[in-house]
Amino acid sequence: MIDLSQITLNNSTDPYNKAAERGWDITDASKLEAPLELEADVVIIGTGAGGGTAAETLSSAGLRVVMLEAGPLKTSSLFDMQERAAYRDLYQEGTGRGTKDGGMVILQGRSVGGSTTVNWTTSFRTPPETLRFWAENMGVSGCSVEEMAPHFEHMEERLNIHEWPQAPNENNAMLQRAAEKLGYSWEKIHRNVRGCLNLGYCGLGCPVDAKQSMLTTTIPAALDNKAKLVHHARAVRLFGEGEAVQGVEAEALTPNVRGTTGQKITVRAARTVVAGGAMNSPALLLRSSVPDPHGRIGKRTFLHPTTLTMGIYEGGINPFYGAPQSIYSDHFQWQRVDTGPICFKLEVPPLQPAFAAAFYTAAGEEIAECMDQLDHTQCMIALMRDGFHEDSQGGTVELGDQGQPVIDYPVDRYLLEGVKRAWSVMLEMQFATGARSARPAHVDARHYTSWKSAKAALAELDVVAHKSKVGSAHVMGGCPMGDDPERSVTDSNGKFHHLDHLYVMDGSLFPTSIGANPQLSIYGLVHKLSSQLAAQLKA
Amino acid sequence: MQTDRRDFLKLTMVGAATLTTISTGASLSGCTSSGPASGMKRLRPEDVDLLRALTPAVMKGKIRPEDSAGLDQTIESFDTLMDDLSEPVVAGVQQAFDLLSFAPTRGLLVGQWSSWSKASLEDAEGALARLKDSSLGLLNAVYAAVIRLIISAWYLIPENAATAGYPGPPKRVVGEVPATAKAQEVAP
Repeated sequence: MIDLSQITLNNSTDPYNKAAERGWDITDASKLEAPLELEADVVIIGTGAGGGTAAETLSSAGLRVVMLEAGPLKTSSLFDMQERAAYRDLYQEGTGRGTKDGGMVILQGRSVGGSTTVNWTTSFRTPPETLRFWAENMGVSGCSVEEMAPHFEHMEERLNIHEWPQAPNENNAMLQRAAEKLGYSWEKIHRNVRGCLNLGYCGLGCPVDAKQSMLTTTIPAALDNKAKLVHHARAVRLFGEGEAVQGVEAEALTPNVRGTTGQKITVRAARTVVAGGAMNSPALLLRSSVPDPHGRIGKRTFLHPTTLTMGIYEGGINPFYGAPQSIYSDHFQWQRVDTGPICFKLEVPPLQPAFAAAFYTAAGEEIAECMDQLDHTQCMIALMRDGFHEDSQGGTVELGDQGQPVIDYPVDRYLLEGVKRAWSVMLEMQFATGARSARPAHVDARHYTSWKSAKAALAELDVVAHKSKVGSAHVMGGCPMGDDPERSVTDSNGKFHHLDHLYVMDGSLFPTSIGANPQLSIYGLVHKLSSQLAAQLKA
Repeated sequence: MQTDRRDFLKLTMVGAATLTTISTGASLSGCTSSGPASGMKRLRPEDVDLLRALTPAVMKGKIRPEDSAGLDQTIESFDTLMDDLSEPVVAGVQQAFDLLSFAPTRGLLVGQWSSWSKASLEDAEGALARLKDSSLGLLNAVYAAVIRLIISAWYLIPENAATAGYPGPPKRVVGEVPATAKAQEVAP
């Protein structure tokens, strides 16, 4: 292992250090001492994969764009690769976000760049099976494989998305070896990086701007195109007259983004684009009391519910270092599309210590013994493809008593069957590659020392919610697109069905989960929708 | 846990609802303090007593009950972690702590009839086992949240993370050109 703690990094890559020189218009709303009123052709609410992509497309067409972001502006020169600061500054609710009953932890980004600032760079086009399912069953038009291809190509080029050419780290290599051993298919992962140093800290903010996140690419481009960025500004409600939305009212947040300062921000715009991400986008629509005659807003929100197994090996794994995700297996993903038990994608996560410990579901001497061997630990994750089978309707986003989004997503029997089956697959893979011991994420589990003993123990485990660890890093849906207003929130162009001048452009448009890490699906779709909107406005 | 007070009440069936009503009663009647303990940003005096009892059980093998410096450091880390969460999440954690601190629910739910400041390591282990093994999903959720937060608080302290064989991240140099070796750059 190369001990990366002995390496020192330069901080000269941060484009925001030259903000003044480049004439960028950036407002920190926490410092406002008077109300702020702005006008624009388009106001974009949120700066993640959707908002960032839309901002570049619309501003490069010559439109006046204002970007509103509730989170802080944290840039690469501040990224110290320490877990505490990253979880505090870059994640929704300081990584405390979860489902209503506490059954799932939800990791979602919250700073300029949204989740793209903290994702693990894994880039997949929307699978053809998913696009076909949307066309055939969800009333989506204009999103066939052929129609989407040019938009994926454009964004792949823009974000330097390419197959990772380096050897996978041991954590990923073990997934490849296990798949080969058991005859499962596997592939290399494509990543949105340029000049990547293979450090492994994508989840804590890339310190060298190698990750081609929105923070590093499209937002600087939009700022160059004279777009304005207002951060620490939380959208409260949309306003308008009659059938037309005319803009958004926001409130300024305190420097730590946990409270409000009392200052208001009002943006009047010819078009309003909601791109706060699944959860925050439906919540904004709900707070705004927009018409919802069929009660669709916030329904069918999907999470790719994810569970894990930990394997301990004789040799070093060092899962905290190296490109977090470089190998995946879809062997269990497309055996069927919308029938039968739930399907899943196999990947691995990076394991920095606090993150690993929090997902272990062990306490007492057991957690200490497990964690003492973290440098010999490999972790498999299974991401379940929810929203296709009729028994998988996802969760519902509602408003809490402070107006905040709350997602009610019970971990039900359909899901738990998948959890148990995934544990079995992943444990067998770990033992097949020589794991000394392996453990599923259940509070009563142990590190079993053979596949035989693990299989026997698995049969006895009480696989219920709260005892079985399930989490999510992919929130999708809640404002699904489609041509039928009874079943969707926007049309297939992202335009809200029941009001004018209002668009949604983010992962909340997805009518099901994606069945793959969603960033490129958002980039491609939003590039298509925002290009259409730009053409309309310039016509 | 992502809950506000009312949502937490809705968590499960009648049994759990009754128990949380008692816990709400505890807060309203002043049995638990509303303000933070001295020197703390978020943790209330009862929370500190609770964590002082539970931490050596959750982190057994890493921290002993008599290691007051280690306990203080972990509780301070927990307090910082709480302060980094959102208000609705903090409210949910406090509600769970109320349930474990209010004498009637503390006794009924986890068998701890005397105050947490008098609890032994075995008492704390027994209490955690009862939460973990309960047939009430609410208590299983409390168990998962409490151990996750304590374990996170402990491993968020860099010298503790080093016990996991983790050498730590690369160093940052802010405002100056680095003198030492640079990692291999990768094309493209």
